[in-house]
Amino acid sequence: MFGEPTLTLGQTIGLLSPELLLLLAGLVILGLDAISPHKEEKPWLPRVALIGLAAALVATIMLWGYNTRVLAVLSCDPFALMVKMVALVAMGIVILASDVYIRAHSRYQGEFYALLLFSTLAICLLGGATNLIMVYLAFEFLSIISYILTGYLRDDKRSTEAAIKYFLYGAGVSAVMLYGMSWFYGLTGATDLAGIADALTGNLRPVILPALVFVAAGFAFKIGAVPFHQWAPDAYEGAPTPVTAFLSVCPKIAGFAVILRVLLTALPPEGLEILGGDWRALLMAISAITMTFGNLVAMWQTNIKRLLAYSSIAQAGYILIGVVSASERGVTAVLLYLAAYAVTNLGAFAAVIAFSNQIGSDEIKDYAGLHKRAPGLALILIICLLSLAGIPPTAGFVGKLWLFSAALDEGLLWLAAIGVINSVISVSYYWKIIRAIYLTPAETEERIDTSPALAIALGVAVTGVFIVGIFPSLILSLLQTAAQIFFVG
Amino acid sequence: MFPILSVTLLIPLAGALLIMIIPREDARTIRQVGIFFAFLSLVLATVVWILVAPNAGVMQLEEKYPWIPTFNINFHLGVDGLSAPMIFLTALLTTLSLFYSARTIKERVKEYYFLFLLLEMSMLGVFLSLDMVMYYVFWEIELVPMFLLIGVWGGKNRKYASLKFFLYTMAGSVFMLLAIIGVYFQTGTFNILDAAAAQPFAGNFTWASMAFWAFFVAFAIKVPAFPFHTWLPDAHTEAPTSGSVILAGILLKLGAYGLIRIVLPMFPAQFKYFVLDVPIVPIMAVMSIAYGAMVCMAQWDFKRLVAYSSVAHMGYVTLGLCAAAAGIGTLGIEKNFNAAASGLSGAAFQMFAHGIITGGMFFLVGIIYERAHTRELKAFGGLGNQVPYYYSIMLVTGFASLGLPGLAGFWSEFFVFRGAINFIPVAAFIGVLGVVFTAAYILWKIVQYIFLGELDKEKWGHLTDMEWWEKATIWPLIIIMVVFGLYPAPLLDSFNAAMTTILQSLP
Repeated sequence: MFGEPTLTLGQTIGLLSPELLLLLAGLVILGLDAISPHKEEKPWLPRVALIGLAAALVATIMLWGYNTRVLAVLSCDPFALMVKMVALVAMGIVILASDVYIRAHSRYQGEFYALLLFSTLAICLLGGATNLIMVYLAFEFLSIISYILTGYLRDDKRSTEAAIKYFLYGAGVSAVMLYGMSWFYGLTGATDLAGIADALTGNLRPVILPALVFVAAGFAFKIGAVPFHQWAPDAYEGAPTPVTAFLSVCPKIAGFAVILRVLLTALPPEGLEILGGDWRALLMAISAITMTFGNLVAMWQTNIKRLLAYSSIAQAGYILIGVVSASERGVTAVLLYLAAYAVTNLGAFAAVIAFSNQIGSDEIKDYAGLHKRAPGLALILIICLLSLAGIPPTAGFVGKLWLFSAALDEGLLWLAAIGVINSVISVSYYWKIIRAIYLTPAETEERIDTSPALAIALGVAVTGVFIVGIFPSLILSLLQTAAQIFFVG
Repeated sequence: MFPILSVTLLIPLAGALLIMIIPREDARTIRQVGIFFAFLSLVLATVVWILVAPNAGVMQLEEKYPWIPTFNINFHLGVDGLSAPMIFLTALLTTLSLFYSARTIKERVKEYYFLFLLLEMSMLGVFLSLDMVMYYVFWEIELVPMFLLIGVWGGKNRKYASLKFFLYTMAGSVFMLLAIIGVYFQTGTFNILDAAAAQPFAGNFTWASMAFWAFFVAFAIKVPAFPFHTWLPDAHTEAPTSGSVILAGILLKLGAYGLIRIVLPMFPAQFKYFVLDVPIVPIMAVMSIAYGAMVCMAQWDFKRLVAYSSVAHMGYVTLGLCAAAAGIGTLGIEKNFNAAASGLSGAAFQMFAHGIITGGMFFLVGIIYERAHTRELKAFGGLGNQVPYYYSIMLVTGFASLGLPGLAGFWSEFFVFRGAINFIPVAAFIGVLGVVFTAAYILWKIVQYIFLGELDKEKWGHLTDMEWWEKATIWPLIIIMVVFGLYPAPLLDSFNAAMTTILQSLP
């Protein structure tokens, strides 16, 4: 009824090929893992997963240019494809970084990689979801996989505790979000985002705001924004470190994709004055509080995983600046920052994994003298931290430049000002790590070696940091094309 | 045309990358490569200056390539009579610093030379950029190597000093980033010259003032102008010798350069308002001069004394700028125009002269510290006979610093006061008192306490005079002090031409 195109089965499969390839790769891994001898090391598992991701990435790139609906609840448009590309590249780095760690810590490797692929599938679905039901299902799919992955070290008390906390919190928030979605259905009789937008009228004014708040709670949970962030530090600290890397990036990509699509499609800001439910004011407050809170609390952390957890809360606050700008520049900024954040944060986590693989510690004080024990690793970690702080010529700087200019373009000087003040605050805790690495002498001279897979992950991440930081033009036009779908026509 | 500016900018980067692939055990090769690339950039900078000199009032050798076309950001370089000498100064002090460090830095040589060349590139980038985003990028890049130079090779309090330096500068500059974006939305360009010509926020006093202060504070912290100077004594005192040389010699000039290149042409009305109507800026300048000089009198740590003297000396730069800003609107009168040009050229001359003189001063502090392992002025005495060569070099540098006619420091003060007396006589009068203090602390504190009086034979009998490489480091600076002291015309003409162009563009 909303201009649904008639697609043949072949066309549908073609448009869904990234998702189908991920599903296939996940199933193949499960099957191969089941039939191969139990005691074996199975170093080929991550390779199969990477091949699956690469195939999905190629399929996504081939689909570039399409802008059509699939199966009524999904959309195959540049925005969705861009989200998929970022998620696929990010997941590739996660898998490369997982290799040694997972082999050393868990017997269930096949399931691990299969779950990572399925979670990627969930993110891809969220990138294209145009129906609240689809949004909810994919959200739950992603959440449940995240809970399992968090508790993956089942003999480790902290891992299990983190998973339970995360699960209880997530279940509650998910129920609230579903409740909010039911309000929208009750108000408009539609679950399709475009349908909701068409049905909303002025006389719904008093009830739009509560419905919006309920749904926003779910989104805020996924991106780890205040006040729905409490799960993050515990889950990050307790989860196996590769999973922490995953949690800090992948659900955020999905969360922001959904936030943008739902809000800009169902509740476009230009019609909101008459409705009285301006989500921009709500998200502005969340943005300002989230970045300030995350940064201030991060200053007190002594464990690097916890520190990066709070830092990633703050980063979500920055990204929200782009969301509330609700302009083409703003959406471009969100996508750019997500890409920048993904490579940067995964690079930092890959370094943390490389460190803990050998040393077995996540305490910042143990990083003393890293520059001597592993010069390359130290350099890459510092580059990633500087990128998180937004120092040029890294990806983080270009991302912030776009976010702040999107805010200023919309006259949100105060929000941009809070953003830049926070960048300064953040330097003081990233500095703690840099101080340990470069300024504090090492207690031992023992070298830290990096496995080949991790070295590739680090290399990909740091290359990404510099490519986005120095040559952002290479991706900017694609990002703009993706952002335009909400504003043209 | 040969892209000489890009090459000048990228030579240090190439050197840094080359050093990255040399094994760290091979310190000798690393030093040689580092010095060679720094010297190469010095040769190029000299060529650039010679090329620019005949027509110094015009932006020349411009290079412009699209960098981020969707946002109209360009890789845009250019030099005029203001930036060319500053580029020369940057390359010269870097080369001398690396030459000096070859014998004084023995730990982590590879990282040191890598960071130093990176630092040189970022400083050159600031002086060469004609695009505000590029300018900001280089401005921020510079923080990281300097921060590590202080933090790794610095003195006892290095961790505190390095973080303070980083946070101070960054806190100041982030608001400049917002102002840059704001100016872009007003004028549609990041080009420094075009944006200045478009006079952003011209009709809106509040917004223009906010943008003015966003830029001004960022630069004032770097200069540093009172009351934003408190990071400087710590950073200078803790930094290794070469780090202090670069900090005082060039980093401070980045701030002054920004004031002249961006703030004055872009917000002339605001500048004038905060000089004449609400005289905050002249008070900052005068306080820097007077307070800085008085604090010098109270210092007993040689290096800290020289650090505070930078605060005072950079106050002249701000004062010269105030003179020019005060004249805005009355520049049609020839007398006023000449006075404004004099103040501004004096400020620029001071940037150069202070770089040379204080650079030399910090080398001299380092040279004696290497031998005596103390900087306590009271601990010395009577060294004049023990180290006569060092004494004479110190005398020349000290006299240049206090503005003795015949040495480079004199001309900057002369022209700054000539401009200031015309527009802001009270500030000029107080500023002149600073000159008196300067003479006092140089003669009394440095000369008298270190070189005159009784020599403690037991304690200082072993002190040796300057080595050949120390002389080789300091002589180029002495020569420049004397040459431009006796014959300032080449440098002054260069600055004057560029400053006249800027003044003519003002309303």
